[in-house]
Amino acid sequence: MVQFNFKGITVVPSGKEMVDIILSRTQRQTPTVVHKGYAINRLRQFYMRKVRFTQQNFHDKLSAIVDEFPRLEGIHPFYSDLLHVLYNKDHYKLALGQVNTARNLISKVAKDYVRLLKYGDSLYRCKCLKVAALGRMCTVIKRIGPSLAYLEQVRQHMARLPSIDPNMRTILICGYPNVGKSSFMNKITRADVDVQPYAFTTKSLFVGHTDYKYLRYQVIDTPGILDRPFEDRNIIEMCSITALAHLRSAVLFFLDVSGSCGYTVAQQAALFHSIKSLFLNKPLMVVCNKIDLQQLNALSEDDKRLVDEMKAEALKTLQIGGDPNAEQQVLVTMSTLTEEGVINVKNTACERILDQRVEIKMKSKKINDCLNRFHVAMPKPRDGKERPVCIPQQVLEQRAKDQEVEKEKEKRKLEKDLENENGGAGVYSASLKKHYLLANDEWKEDIIPEIIDGHNVADFMDPDILERLEELEREEGLRLAGEEGDDFEIDGDNMTPEEREALNEIRKRKKALIQEHRIKKSTAESRPIVPRKFDKDRQFTTERMGRQLSGLGLDPSKAIERVRSRSVSRGRKRERSVAADGAGDDGMEIDNDGKGSNKRLRLRSVSRSRSRSRAPVEEVIPGEGFKDKEQKVKAIKLGKKSVKKRNKDARKGEADRVILNMMPKHLFSGKRGIGKTSRR
Amino acid sequence: MRLEKCWFCSSTIYPGHGIQFVRNDAKIFRFCRSKCHKNFKMKRNPRKVKWTKAYRRLHGKDMTQDSTFEFERKRNRPQRYDRINTEKVLQAIPKISKVKATREKDHITKRLSVGRVNRRTEDRRELEQSISLVKAPSVLKEDATLTLPKQKVTVSYAQTENTPMEE
Repeated sequence: MVQFNFKGITVVPSGKEMVDIILSRTQRQTPTVVHKGYAINRLRQFYMRKVRFTQQNFHDKLSAIVDEFPRLEGIHPFYSDLLHVLYNKDHYKLALGQVNTARNLISKVAKDYVRLLKYGDSLYRCKCLKVAALGRMCTVIKRIGPSLAYLEQVRQHMARLPSIDPNMRTILICGYPNVGKSSFMNKITRADVDVQPYAFTTKSLFVGHTDYKYLRYQVIDTPGILDRPFEDRNIIEMCSITALAHLRSAVLFFLDVSGSCGYTVAQQAALFHSIKSLFLNKPLMVVCNKIDLQQLNALSEDDKRLVDEMKAEALKTLQIGGDPNAEQQVLVTMSTLTEEGVINVKNTACERILDQRVEIKMKSKKINDCLNRFHVAMPKPRDGKERPVCIPQQVLEQRAKDQEVEKEKEKRKLEKDLENENGGAGVYSASLKKHYLLANDEWKEDIIPEIIDGHNVADFMDPDILERLEELEREEGLRLAGEEGDDFEIDGDNMTPEEREALNEIRKRKKALIQEHRIKKSTAESRPIVPRKFDKDRQFTTERMGRQLSGLGLDPSKAIERVRSRSVSRGRKRERSVAADGAGDDGMEIDNDGKGSNKRLRLRSVSRSRSRSRAPVEEVIPGEGFKDKEQKVKAIKLGKKSVKKRNKDARKGEADRVILNMMPKHLFSGKRGIGKTSRR
Repeated sequence: MRLEKCWFCSSTIYPGHGIQFVRNDAKIFRFCRSKCHKNFKMKRNPRKVKWTKAYRRLHGKDMTQDSTFEFERKRNRPQRYDRINTEKVLQAIPKISKVKATREKDHITKRLSVGRVNRRTEDRRELEQSISLVKAPSVLKEDATLTLPKQKVTVSYAQTENTPMEE
């Protein structure tokens, strides 16, 4: 509330600060990028925006200042006078006026420059205009810099003024310096005012609050006042004078009867009389302090007379409805040191304030409206009969019963008591199963199994489970009996072990055939296709034939004989005819002949033990496809030559491109003697 | 304490195993191990994943309908404890599981028996067709059984036979 609390005023920045703030805001919050190639309207708008933005911001800030500082006419006269005393009314008004003018000047500047910018014809010219506008606005602000500084000081001081509510019940404490005002203040309120032996310890007003009869009272401590003409007073004294003048409160004039403050009673009385004009219409009390040093009765004649004079003055302010102890209400004694009479003083002061306020309220016009609405109705007694309280009988009985139940509850043993008896919370664990309601109480402590063999027991719970189980077992028996018949049927067609063996053998043979075929197929391209009779590998022997035939269950001896005899006889016949004719007949026979004679020659020339050894390598065997010995020898040589290089590389064949060690250490580690190591 | 079923593979989840997932519509999915959980997160349908019970039941690999399933049913109403009944139930449970297990086994055996019969006929046919690979037809004529022939030992390559001719 502006009325008595000036803490809400925003900070007033100094001239330089304000300029900085607003210019930086303009920089941040308006677009910054512009090129000379833009349309001229766009350029004009850009700069006009900046000028207007700056003007607006200045306007806002300055308006805030002007509005928030209180107008001295619009606040309570106490505050306006206080502000005048502290800051000089004229100076204050002047400063605010300057701020106002600055605001108007800035608006004018902005308007003018905006008008000029409308006709700017190049980027450069618009920019210059904008710079000039902002420059002028900032100069205006710089010129009011001192006023802003002054206003900031005022604001800071105002914020620290005590918040005094002029309309509240107030007690004002005044008197010479060092009489004990602040000590009294400390005694009755929670305010912690400085109390020191030198004069003018209290330099400004202090506020404290105290309570009396459920109401809050403000207590205002003032700096000491000296007795001098009005014009000579300093600011501090003027504060107390202002407070005295404007606050409608009870006034406690403190009197130091002992003279230890450094001023005599006479001086103090003189002060009293000089400011008694300020005490009009206020309940006045003359408080004699420091009576532990000097009793009131023990005063000198003159002093007593002076005190009486003061008392008389004070009596005038008392209400006209004279009290027998009016004197008590006007002149009180106390000592802040020994604390006798302090509370009494406070109470008396508060009472007097209350009385005065009530009286004023009663006198005002508004009270009549309220009074009309009050009416306390008292029923008139009809006759002299006595009518006491009546309680029905049932209610009384119920009450008695309730009381009994209460008593029982107290007697009943709780679980908590049981726990405590058996050792406390950590030792005793309550049996939760105690109150279970089961068909048979013996079952209470049973441990119920929940899981069995991977099943939940609860899922099977059923009262007639055993009957169903019996049924099930019967069914099962029937089913099993039926199934046994089926089994026999299936087992009928079984193979004997010998048949099994035969089947395995068949499968083996089949597999072997397939494998052979696959090998042949894959090597078909590289193998020479030679008819069987030129049996290079010599696999078609009679032994083989014999084995195979006997494997099939036939007797091979006859077949072998036949083969052998035929070959032998054939060979013989041919030899004779060859020797006779010289030339061969059909190719077939010559071939046969050649083979047979060769065989025979071999058989003849070589002994039995070596009959199985092979022919020398150069010998041309007809199945191979060579013309004569030289060709074969050459072929062999060529073959060996082509293989030699590979063998030296330890490669198995053409397709062997295996590299055993992909990263041999000697190639992939170490520094080079010369050159870079960026490639390895 | 309850043993739950895994939502994905339908195996039992023992206490201390697995993860429960509660969806925003308050449906609870329990998984027995991270394999099932990860499959679920991949949005796989258990009815299409071969090793789950759901697949097996759907495709007739395991027994689906049977009276033994009705013995085990989750009841939502709590029942008052009754010692006599509980004892009966505890006796009955192993027997019921035994019956159930035998029935499941028989179901599988029955399913697989068809294959056995087929294999037998196959074998017989193969034997009849391919007996000639191991047994010469003339030998078969004499001894009509489908078994391996008695081995005739070959006369070994005798030296005496040829030498007179050479000389």
